[in-house]
Amino acid sequence: MTAVPPLTRKLLRDLWRLRGQALAIALVMAAGVGMVVMSYGMMRSLEATRAAYYERYDLAQVWVPLRRAPDSLARELAAVDGVAAIETRVSGAATLDLPGITEPVLARLHSLPVRLNRLVLRSGHLPRADRPGEVIVSEAFAKAARLSLGSHLPALLYGKQIELTLVGTAISPEHVYAVAPGQIFPDNRRFGIIWMAREPLSAALDMRDGFNEVLVRLGPGASEPEVIRRIDRVTAAYGPVGAYGRELDISNRFLSSEIDQLRTTVRILPPIFLAVSAFLLNILLARLIDTEREVIGLLKAFGYRNRPIAWHYAQLALLLSGGGVLLGWVLGAWLGRGLAVIYQEYFAFPFLAFTAGIDIYLIAAGLALAAVLAGACTAVWRAQALTPAEAMRPPAPARYSTGALANRLARLLPDEPSRMILRGFLRRPMRTLASVLGLAMALALYVASASSTDNVERMIQLVFERGQRADLALSFSEARDGRVLRELAVLPGVQRVETYRAVSVELVHGARRERETVLGLPRGAALMRIVALDGAAIEPAPGGALISSQLARKLRIAAGDRLEVQVTEGQRQRFALPIAAVVDVPLGASVVVERATLNRLLREGDVVSGAYLMTDPARTSELFAALKRTPLVASVTVAANAVRGIRETIAESMGIVTLFNTLFAVLIVAGVTYTGARISLSERARDLASMRVLGFRKGEAGFVLIGEQALLAIVALPLGLLLGVALSHFIANSFSSDMFLIPAAVSTRTLAEGVIVVGLSAAATAVLIRRSADALDLVRALKTRE
Amino acid sequence: MGERAAIYRTAGLTKSYGTGATTVHALRGVDLTVHAGELLVLLGPSGSGKSTLLNILGGLDSATSGQAWFEDTEITALDADALTEYRRRSIGFVFQFYNLIAALTARENVQLITDIAEDPMTPEEALALVGLEERMDHFPAQLSGGEQQRVAIARAIAKRPKVLLCDEPTGALDSQTGIRVLSALETVNREIGATVMIITHNAVIADMADEVIHFADGAIAAHRSNPRRKPPGELAW
Repeated sequence: MTAVPPLTRKLLRDLWRLRGQALAIALVMAAGVGMVVMSYGMMRSLEATRAAYYERYDLAQVWVPLRRAPDSLARELAAVDGVAAIETRVSGAATLDLPGITEPVLARLHSLPVRLNRLVLRSGHLPRADRPGEVIVSEAFAKAARLSLGSHLPALLYGKQIELTLVGTAISPEHVYAVAPGQIFPDNRRFGIIWMAREPLSAALDMRDGFNEVLVRLGPGASEPEVIRRIDRVTAAYGPVGAYGRELDISNRFLSSEIDQLRTTVRILPPIFLAVSAFLLNILLARLIDTEREVIGLLKAFGYRNRPIAWHYAQLALLLSGGGVLLGWVLGAWLGRGLAVIYQEYFAFPFLAFTAGIDIYLIAAGLALAAVLAGACTAVWRAQALTPAEAMRPPAPARYSTGALANRLARLLPDEPSRMILRGFLRRPMRTLASVLGLAMALALYVASASSTDNVERMIQLVFERGQRADLALSFSEARDGRVLRELAVLPGVQRVETYRAVSVELVHGARRERETVLGLPRGAALMRIVALDGAAIEPAPGGALISSQLARKLRIAAGDRLEVQVTEGQRQRFALPIAAVVDVPLGASVVVERATLNRLLREGDVVSGAYLMTDPARTSELFAALKRTPLVASVTVAANAVRGIRETIAESMGIVTLFNTLFAVLIVAGVTYTGARISLSERARDLASMRVLGFRKGEAGFVLIGEQALLAIVALPLGLLLGVALSHFIANSFSSDMFLIPAAVSTRTLAEGVIVVGLSAAATAVLIRRSADALDLVRALKTRE
Repeated sequence: MGERAAIYRTAGLTKSYGTGATTVHALRGVDLTVHAGELLVLLGPSGSGKSTLLNILGGLDSATSGQAWFEDTEITALDADALTEYRRRSIGFVFQFYNLIAALTARENVQLITDIAEDPMTPEEALALVGLEERMDHFPAQLSGGEQQRVAIARAIAKRPKVLLCDEPTGALDSQTGIRVLSALETVNREIGATVMIITHNAVIADMADEVIHFADGAIAAHRSNPRRKPPGELAW
């Protein structure tokens, strides 16, 4: 019995007494720590998984597209300095006519890989050498287009009708995202990857004894740009487009962009969560220990030294929050793993390499505990800086403000309890400020977390409702004469046609180079407009170009500068393009000029690459049937499908993270409200007891407490909403990946939800606190101190 | 009594709070000698400076000017750490509102002190001395006011202090309970030889003392010695 020191017993009993607050503090702590562990755990797992996937299935480092090369070139390429291994293959494009899908379905065909870009077979078997029609398709395509093993796929390959049979599905590190040429987002129902044996594919593409693509693995230490230059020299005679590295591979680029975006979320939001919860814990612990001021004075009077007293309260603080750390670790690791599993399926990785990293656990816990200890120590320090005689005196003879403003304010109030609330706030302005700020920050976290989906909706609205207003976008298999417009205009259901010109180019500014597409739009275009983040539609000035701010940053170019353009297809023209304006565009369209200007610079006549169509929805299937018969159309993009694609890719992946972040924010709001009110109750216990003894009813006395909390919440609401909007802008700004810019657009719905979350936690807290206030033992509350 | 050594001496001790027009002079130059083993009662109205004197002598507060010695140590010259050591080794306190720690039982409240003292009695002995051996495992909330005050006394004497300072120990108690508490203090003075200083409003209590000091307006107004100490049992009010 005597083995346990009395201070330890006090500690344990205090913990039991404070269990409600311990729970609330633990939740706040768990939210901060859990958020960090979850996010970093998920992030690191995804990165490790991607790296392992690329490594294990030998994703190429350089792609070399060619028009047609003889087998003898392979030996030359293999001998290029810096090349460790090469694989030649035959690739092509086909149009499929699938039952149940009105639009033409595009497919990319590859000869089956041997050593590089190896497949992960997901069902069925590889095509057999003696069955030339057997193919396997990308798993996502098979699912979206409802293909099953044994399905027949009528395909049109460069004018040849062939019958393919599906014998398996696979995923490949090369096509984590299968994106059709010219598209930005995957549309798995209308675009798929097909792998088949090399022999039949070569035969169909007239590529016997040759190949049209080379995959390269670099030797250790080889410089990629250097090797690409050497390869381009060797292959100059065999194709128009140069070799490119992984970072330009569209699938990898998309994947990187998504992972970058997640990494941004991880780098910004969880540390903010942790910082806010640490700040809140600091305030809460300091206030909690302030209420123990007399005990500290007493222990000092008995001759306890400062260190054991400080250690006692440090232990209290650590135990109060230690549960939160454990909970945060467990919750964070569990949710992080869960998220990684969801993402693994979403990204179509064949396996998951889970690594959270002990450093993250320790850093998260260390930061949170440091804040807690700092809060506890400030309060102990404040108490022990007093002489014991002062510390033991009730902190009462409080000097209430006698300021003229305070008195005038107080006179405006209807009754004494209201004045008690007001004077309580004014007497300790810093504490009032800290309470308001704490609640406001909790609310800001909620708003910032929940607004991610608002931002994506705003992006969709900007891009598709204000910018790309065409129902269909067509691209031609090669550039056509502008008169094609008239042919398109008479197709069934077409209401309006606008044509565009697009060329693949390399943009050069000083030492910086970027591979991009220059888009030429007709003057006064209505179906495809460039819309900036602020919603304004911008027309390219005659003779000048609009450039997206992301690309301008990469090229270090500004309005008024001249951009050097090297066309990488056809005639390979070179020209200079003056930059008229740098525009913040949410998505796509990196360099835009007037079509007439582009035609002039390309020294060609009225030539177009595709068209935007506005159509009658009632005649869609008729139109698609007509388009399928039109050989000039290489691809058709349906705007509605693209919007769905974006929603499915960005919105869904963001949605899960957003949901978890939002839950953590709700925990913080609830924890802060409850703990704040609890401490307020213990500080006001004497006042409340006095009022009750004087004949105030429970409700009237409780009003002082509840009113105080309500007033804090009311002041915190607008501040929290403002902070939330600012935080949301900050996060949206930090998102700018090289593929899209996220506009910040907190919806009123999100703000209203934030208000409701705070309101509900405040109301629930009020009920709990009212119950405790009503149960107050009047005699004890009044008897314990002078 | 002249052969007894002085345990406290003060010279020109003053204490003021606040500055300028709002300055409150709690002590205005107190010269006093207290001998070891005495039972001393300080009388006087509220605000007369008795508590301030006791707080300074107990090392709970600092003086504005003047000196105070405990045996050969000038306590007015000690820093906060040295005062802590002084309280820890030599002083026991009893307060009007007991100041028991609500989260600890009677025994544990006493143990709080015996854990840090050099040559303490056991908590059980200390509680037996104030007649509470039966209620050792009760929490403060389960004890009456008089019992709580006796726990506070047991807590104060358990370390065998040289001095026991009591600020209105019976102020919150009825007369019968008050007398039990005073008996406990008298026992402590007699059994362990501690110097006991008691602050009170109640002039009747002065009859149990060796020395009686009247305070008024921050200074000693009168000082008398009782020829005979009345046992607390004979007091009535």
